[in-house]
Amino acid sequence: MASLTAQQRQDLIEELPRLKRFCLSLTSDPADADDLLQITVERLLEKGMPEDAHVAKWSHRVCRNLWIDEIRSRDVRSRYAQSESALEGAGTTSANTDESVQLDRVSAAMERLPPEQRAALVQVAVEGCSYAEAAAFLEVPIGTIMSRVARARKALAEDLEWSAEREA
Amino acid sequence: MCMSDDRQNVVDMAGTRVDDDHLLSMYIDNELDAERTIALITRLRSDPALRARLNAMEANDSALKTLFAAQTDVPEHLAPLVTADNISIMPRMVNWTRRLTLSAAAGCVAVVALVASLDQPDVFNPMTMDPQLAAALEQSASRASGWERLDNGRNFRSVLTFPATDGRWCREFLLAQDESHWRGVACRDNGEWENQVVGSEIFLEQETQYRPAGTDDSEQVVRFIDETAADVALGPQQEAALINSGW
Repeated sequence: MASLTAQQRQDLIEELPRLKRFCLSLTSDPADADDLLQITVERLLEKGMPEDAHVAKWSHRVCRNLWIDEIRSRDVRSRYAQSESALEGAGTTSANTDESVQLDRVSAAMERLPPEQRAALVQVAVEGCSYAEAAAFLEVPIGTIMSRVARARKALAEDLEWSAEREA
Repeated sequence: MCMSDDRQNVVDMAGTRVDDDHLLSMYIDNELDAERTIALITRLRSDPALRARLNAMEANDSALKTLFAAQTDVPEHLAPLVTADNISIMPRMVNWTRRLTLSAAAGCVAVVALVASLDQPDVFNPMTMDPQLAAALEQSASRASGWERLDNGRNFRSVLTFPATDGRWCREFLLAQDESHWRGVACRDNGEWENQVVGSEIFLEQETQYRPAGTDDSEQVVRFIDETAADVALGPQQEAALINSGW
């Protein structure tokens, strides 16, 4: 398991955009997502993976473990607790349009979600995973995915409703 | 089986109580079975508040997709990094780790650094052998403390000198620049010093000091030495003689 096979490397390259979004769902910060993606790739190249491993699942697992071990355990996220919305500006092109305002609200609300809810929601709502697929990626029971996704949507809806009322 | 009970927004589902938000979420994700879907659609027709909630969730999902669609760009250097074989990894200077994780292949003759993205032009790339570093390796005696000043704000210390199994002379060294420290090994090959492995040693961020020594990286260097060294490190006199003789 010292290195990746040629096929695994190709699969990993194709997986990178999705893995990047997964990193973003974990970190909620684009720069940190890039960093997490970087060390995930490094770890995969360094440690390799079993020949029969599912590259997407394996890489997501490595990524998540790195996030847990190296980031959350050091409580790095607390550094950002007082900062601006981590996803602020992401995807916005014009500052004063209704759409961009809504995107800003959503990104801010996303940052306030617990990471596990955010990750589940992104897998399902953004990546289009079924609950079973998301459960496999995140290595939790299907019911947990259902619950996390629903609670994330509920929290987002209430957060955004509150934001809209406050700004009205 | 879906069964409404006396609480309007709660149903039983496989032994789990699920409120309307769970139902709507499952409906959006096409995870409701046909019976529950029909029941929910029937309710949506007659319940404006429930319909509004569904519309809000779907709108949020749409916004979420837009947000993340803008974040699919992968750093350009990663794909070549994955494609390349037998290379050492030289990541860009990252914000939260600022560390370098290098995979040194045991017994490799030389490690090629892939430097695809260094956002800050004045940031030292530890895998690059420059004249000042080479000169320091060529001439400086190993020591247990103290630093020799190089350019770009770098501080250098040779730690030890040892013979490699392939006959080359190698030196373990420390480099420090700002808050970043690296430990590495360079070997002398046909009169030229080449870095073999470099790993982040310590990074302390001023604000949080959350990042202790990178043990993995140090282990890489130690492992490299263990697998490459043909003998114990030279003593001070032996090393001085070797330096004075021009290696």
